[in-house]
Amino acid sequence: MKNLDRRSFLKVAAAGVSASTLGASQVKGAEIKLDENRIGVLVDTAVCVGCRLCEWACRTAHHLPTDALETYADDSVFKEFRRPDKTALTVVNEFENEKNPLLPIHVKTQCMHCEKPACVSACIVGALTKNQDGSVVWDGDKCIGCRYCMVACQFQIPTYDYDVSIDPQIRKCDFCEDRRKEGLLPACVNICPNEALIFGKRCDVLKIAKERIKRKPEVYVNHIYGENEIGGTSWMYIASKDFDKLKMATLGSSPAPGISEAIQHGIFAYFVPPVTLYTLLGTFMWVLKRRKEKSPEEIGDTKKEVIEEKKDEKGEEL
Amino acid sequence: MKKILIVTVIVTIAGFITASDSFLQPKLQLHKTESQKQNSESDNPHNLSPELKKALNCKSCHACEYPTPGNPCLLDCPRGSMISVYHSPKEGPEIVLINEMSENYGGVVFSHRLHAEMSEMTTGCEGCHHYNTTGPILSCKGCHENKRMRENVAIPDLKAAYHRQCLTCHKQWSYENGCNTQCHLQKGSDIDVRREQAINKIKGRSHPLLPEPTKMIWETNYEEGKIVTFFHDEHFQVFKIKCNSCHKNDNCIKCHEKKENVDFTKPVKIKKTFDDHHMPCVNCHDGNSCKKCHREGEMSPFNHGKSTGWALSGFHSRLGCADCHGNSMPYKRLDRNCTSCHKNFVKGTFNHSRTGLILSEAHLEAECENCHINKDFSKAPQCASCHDDKSFPKDLPGKRNR
Amino acid sequence: MNPEPVKHKFLTPGVFILIVLALNGLVFLAIRFIWGLGAVTNLDNYTPWGLWIGVDVGAGVALAAGGFTSAALGHIIHREHYHAIVRPALLTAMLGYTFVAFAVMVDIGRFYYIWHPLIMWNGNSALFEVGICVMIYLTVLYIEFLPIVCERFMGRVNLPGFLKAFNKPVDKLLTVLNSALGKTMFIFIIAGVVLSTLHQSSLGTLMVIAGQKMHPLWQTPVLPLLFLLSAIAVGFPMIIFESLIAARSFKMKPEMHILSKLGGMVAPILGVYFAFKIGDLFISEDFKYLMKFDTNAFMYFGECVLTLTAFFMFLSRRVLNSPLLLFIASTLVIAGVLLNRINNFIVAYNPFFDPNTYFPSFGEISVTVGCIAMLVLAYRFIVLNFPVISQEKS
Repeated sequence: MKNLDRRSFLKVAAAGVSASTLGASQVKGAEIKLDENRIGVLVDTAVCVGCRLCEWACRTAHHLPTDALETYADDSVFKEFRRPDKTALTVVNEFENEKNPLLPIHVKTQCMHCEKPACVSACIVGALTKNQDGSVVWDGDKCIGCRYCMVACQFQIPTYDYDVSIDPQIRKCDFCEDRRKEGLLPACVNICPNEALIFGKRCDVLKIAKERIKRKPEVYVNHIYGENEIGGTSWMYIASKDFDKLKMATLGSSPAPGISEAIQHGIFAYFVPPVTLYTLLGTFMWVLKRRKEKSPEEIGDTKKEVIEEKKDEKGEEL
Repeated sequence: MKKILIVTVIVTIAGFITASDSFLQPKLQLHKTESQKQNSESDNPHNLSPELKKALNCKSCHACEYPTPGNPCLLDCPRGSMISVYHSPKEGPEIVLINEMSENYGGVVFSHRLHAEMSEMTTGCEGCHHYNTTGPILSCKGCHENKRMRENVAIPDLKAAYHRQCLTCHKQWSYENGCNTQCHLQKGSDIDVRREQAINKIKGRSHPLLPEPTKMIWETNYEEGKIVTFFHDEHFQVFKIKCNSCHKNDNCIKCHEKKENVDFTKPVKIKKTFDDHHMPCVNCHDGNSCKKCHREGEMSPFNHGKSTGWALSGFHSRLGCADCHGNSMPYKRLDRNCTSCHKNFVKGTFNHSRTGLILSEAHLEAECENCHINKDFSKAPQCASCHDDKSFPKDLPGKRNR
Repeated sequence: MNPEPVKHKFLTPGVFILIVLALNGLVFLAIRFIWGLGAVTNLDNYTPWGLWIGVDVGAGVALAAGGFTSAALGHIIHREHYHAIVRPALLTAMLGYTFVAFAVMVDIGRFYYIWHPLIMWNGNSALFEVGICVMIYLTVLYIEFLPIVCERFMGRVNLPGFLKAFNKPVDKLLTVLNSALGKTMFIFIIAGVVLSTLHQSSLGTLMVIAGQKMHPLWQTPVLPLLFLLSAIAVGFPMIIFESLIAARSFKMKPEMHILSKLGGMVAPILGVYFAFKIGDLFISEDFKYLMKFDTNAFMYFGECVLTLTAFFMFLSRRVLNSPLLLFIASTLVIAGVLLNRINNFIVAYNPFFDPNTYFPSFGEISVTVGCIAMLVLAYRFIVLNFPVISQEKS
């Protein structure tokens, strides 16, 4: 009896497995193949003077409401720590410079355009995509506004428009996708008076960052923020102060979506575990029903055993 | 092991290829006219004074192992390690109009001479004209492209090059927040009038010379020897040290108006590390002995006689330190044997009357060592080697002429 | 002993309070749909997920787990003995998941695009898996519930007015549907169990991607397993809980012979869950965070105390045989899992540099409470009108 069950079970399971592998491959998210010449920006905070022109240029380029250019000279906004929000895709914050209090450190914040973006991995409908050129962009026609990208993002960049009910936007830096299509530089890079933002191939700007640290070890902390943080980012920073003191999260080098995706694909793995579980449960159901029809008294002893077996399988699937 | 071998081979081949590029160089030069040829002589960054050559090595300017004229792989900015030829502020232009790229703002009327004068007190010309070796002053446009989107982003573009020179100092002043307030002309129809006004405002003005302190006394936290005395005038006048060799990181705001949120009745407290405090001195002075500078009381000024046992008088007192002790630090110690410097001070050629004593006929025949034991001219001469009953200065081997 | 509609009046003082709560929730819901999430919630760019995801979705899905655990017990393992609880549990699951789906609809910003995951797939996303599984499972639950509807109306179809002519065809249709479903129901039942296993665990995967923003006490790669185990563990206590409440509310005799047996299975599952939870804590060496005695540690202790107390109570025969003690023990498990979900989704989520700590607004709480009130009202209505609860004939 038992042998027969095993055999039939194996048959069903094998059939289920082979059937499911065919159709399931499309569910697994397509690997993004990044261009070797993908773009990047180096933010040299030692060169930035905090003029906030990038904020103005960004708002203007993205048709967000903005005050006149002259008002950006007002540095009283630095009194409080600001984050990007629905009105600004990028903001500059000021931090104390112990080496020279008169020249505070300024740090621009915007989407880092991760090499392995958590938001793209997280997005339920794939509204966020990582382009081959390295940029991460949002598609408003797909987005359902679940804000899981905001939960996933280690840099807490995507912002949400909480004040409208219809067509609320997830906003974040789009690496000036539209401008670059026209052959222009990102608005912030273009306007920066000091070229504290260096736009180029990611590999090139990384080289520049290393060169600058090497040439001025007395100025820079030997750390390129974004070179390895959560698997690397397109935007990278160098600074004269430890990054955690510039309110930049201390992050490891493993990609943010790594564990989560491993679990996901472990559970699904081309639908094998679910289908196997389905087959197993079906077999149990059938076997137990037949056994019960034969001799209703026997069941009392097997019950416990079955529960335990069931639990084990589930443990394995995970 | 194999890997290393392959890498070595590749590097060698690459070296050959790049070296062969240099053969193209003479051909290129053929296209130049005669006058340009002369120019290129002085332009050649490798025509350095021996002094400069000592301060620089290949890596000061070049990033790669095999620089070629085609690919010199010049470093981003070797400002610190480059030493420029000296020009006085008066040689430069008084006013420079920067007008190349007015996008959001009007151009800038730059008071070049005033700034050059200020730079005398801080960074020197190379503070702005970095990368300038000997020869003419290079224009910014020569290296800094007037284009943000370009191939080599390691070198800042022209806009950034200009701004970086200005903003480091100007950002520290309270009225410097707006771009239009101090540097840029506001765009508008009357921009020409305002430009004229700006030019007239600067014309003929020069930066007042700074009063120099004679000495400075610090009370330090160091327990054995709290007091450090620094003779500023000595370093400048006696030791002939250039201002900017110490003041190169000084800021205009030491004297000029500061940001509002800083209380400028108190000196600007800049957090200095141990090195920041000591390096300016230790660069020249022996850094291993604290007691040299840290004393219980105030030090007296430098006295050559007291410190070395060789008081300087006459012609010697007019010399600079380097004239005898050389340029490198710490100074070369000299012995008291005149001939170690004055090679021609030997019997026959030396005119003893220079010392204030005309030797008598008989003494002219004597060897120097007969009187000056071991040729130590700092000690009193001895008569004992010849005379039992004579002694200096009671008895003289001639007569005084002074 | 067949399930029948309960004979009881709908309105009681308790029900009146529930209606008031539901109406209060509806007012805030209206505000949310007119002026956006910001008008009702305390959510911001630091804390994008709050009470509605933590409790309505996270805890909601867990507490509706009674549906699949009882289905597994009643149908797959074929314990006819437990059939009496399968229907109430199914109803709870169906209403629970409807509530979850509704909560999701309320919480997502572009609610009108809620159907997007059906055609726009992202297999990397844990949320996608949760979403798609919940959607399918909800459909499966409705299919599983259909026989109850058929049973209720078969031979009793009485359409009003001119529709009377359709009485016969509709009746016929119901009969055919009922028999067809009867033959194929096993497909849906197994599917329901598999789907539950998948999304209960994926719900745990949700917060894994938050990385360092999650407090280390909760952040672990085995979160999916913990979520699944806790969901299985809370399934039976939830059935016991509602069965006892229903019995009290409708003045029926509690079915202690079933509930005691059901309760007997809780302790081992709860034990396995707790062992994994504590095991993970020690393997990851995160216990050092417990020594800080801050909010996080306190909340973690809370979970442990609730779960452990319940575990020991369920081990005792006395507890299993006493309706009151059984009720208390079940409540403790439910509270433990509820707290776990709140902790995972709200307490553990510590965004960097957040100037304010998130606490749900009155509006958020109102909507959650209002939705639960509506759920209870719907349960009551269905139980009074459809054959769900089995009563012993006296």
